[in-house]
Amino acid sequence: MKPAVSALFLSFTLFLSFISSASYAADDAWLLLQKSAYAARELNYQGVFVYQNGKQTSSVQITHMNNAGQEMTRNVVLDNSAHTNTQSNQPREVFSQGSDIVIMRQQNQKMVIEKRRGQNLFPAMLPTDLRAIKFSYNAQLGAKEYIAGREAQIIDLVPNDAFRYGYKIWADTEYGLLLKMTLVDNKNQTLEQIAFNQLSTLNSQDVNWFQPKIDVKKNYVMEDKTAVNHVDSDWIVAELPAGYVKVDHRALAVPGKTAPVDQMIFSDGIGSVSLFIEPLIKGVRPKMGHMSIGSTNICARVLDGYQITVVGEVPSLPCLQIAKAVSFRKQAALNK
Amino acid sequence: MKDQLSALIDGEFDINSAEHLIASVKTGGELKQCWMHYHLIGDVMRGESHMRQDFSARLMIDLENEPIIFRPNASANITSNEGASIGAPSRLSFLQTQYAKNSKVWSVAASVAAVMFVGVMVLQFNQSEELAPMEIAQSVPMEYLQAHQAAAPNGTAYYIQNASFSEQQPK
Repeated sequence: MKPAVSALFLSFTLFLSFISSASYAADDAWLLLQKSAYAARELNYQGVFVYQNGKQTSSVQITHMNNAGQEMTRNVVLDNSAHTNTQSNQPREVFSQGSDIVIMRQQNQKMVIEKRRGQNLFPAMLPTDLRAIKFSYNAQLGAKEYIAGREAQIIDLVPNDAFRYGYKIWADTEYGLLLKMTLVDNKNQTLEQIAFNQLSTLNSQDVNWFQPKIDVKKNYVMEDKTAVNHVDSDWIVAELPAGYVKVDHRALAVPGKTAPVDQMIFSDGIGSVSLFIEPLIKGVRPKMGHMSIGSTNICARVLDGYQITVVGEVPSLPCLQIAKAVSFRKQAALNK
Repeated sequence: MKDQLSALIDGEFDINSAEHLIASVKTGGELKQCWMHYHLIGDVMRGESHMRQDFSARLMIDLENEPIIFRPNASANITSNEGASIGAPSRLSFLQTQYAKNSKVWSVAASVAAVMFVGVMVLQFNQSEELAPMEIAQSVPMEYLQAHQAAAPNGTAYYIQNASFSEQQPK
């Protein structure tokens, strides 16, 4: 009896060691992603990155500093092929401090100052908590390449199902900083790309760069508050696509619309999708169907006199499923 | 709780807050019975019938075997009483008869009203729906693209879409 037990134990241990050696590479990939998520927030750096989605490209100058635990970033949009308006020669600026984001952009003759809640901006695209991503993706180490003069390790985030795109991440082999990221569909075609083409470390502790370029000839106005965060409503999505959770719910005041629009945001840790619900307006044609622009998928349908619109940088399948799974009030009424 | 269970089966209940339902179904008892019944009802309504071939034959046999209960016809009783007796009881039965007649008239009137009401509702509904839906691709909802990108946890599309949207904002 005893030898049999020990033999079983031995084979079990061997089996375990086999498993762990097989998953060793995956563990390494996850460790590097974790390092990358922290590096983007903790290091001091400056550079220029280029963002491409479909035909649109944009270059952005970034300066990032972690000043004793407080993150400070200044992004200046240098060019913008989508920006055909010749009047706006003033570059757009995005400042973030901690989780507050302030955007200064030109609108007609005035500069609008817009405030937003925290977002993961490039190169801090990965959340520091990777558990949600681990649930829906597999991480695989790929080849090494040079990006902006730095050696980078490629990590493939391969989705477990058709509810999300794949991500390819280039992480600096020395510091872990995310140097490049692409969004790929199930045919491995690149839909979206964002990458540094110039990068250096920021050595001085000087913070003079952290201030907007003010044009004294222009009028600066604060943007009207357009959204109320964290509202409750009687709309529910009974069956979310696997891996997605609701991360926010807000009531949105959209210019030209009388009733506020319900907006729910769902995320699988890296990809996200918004659901919009608004009452149909008399004389306005309801919209339905599905379309895609680059990585963005949009689907629309009508439900009991309401217009349902789903928008996200996700494949069409989760969009359609969310649009289909919306229902009104039944649960809320029953819970009372 | 039964209503919630029904909603859950219909996919109209938030699965994340349905743990109490699953738990009580698992423990068995009345809710488990409901669970099975609702699914059976659903299967039958969808035509995924799990009934045996001889179901209708067996149902007919069961009906044959049902004891037949004779119940005196109430309205016939009243009319037979009408001529037979005099005084207070007859007045009462006369009123009952009138009431029985009137209620028939009223129920017909109510049906007509109900049909009219539904008709008017349908008519109004159709009027508000007179505009044919259009394909979303014919008019891209830029305001929603922008709102999504402003609220999404990841801001990849940030630098471009915002610019193209700001041009579209009304002056």
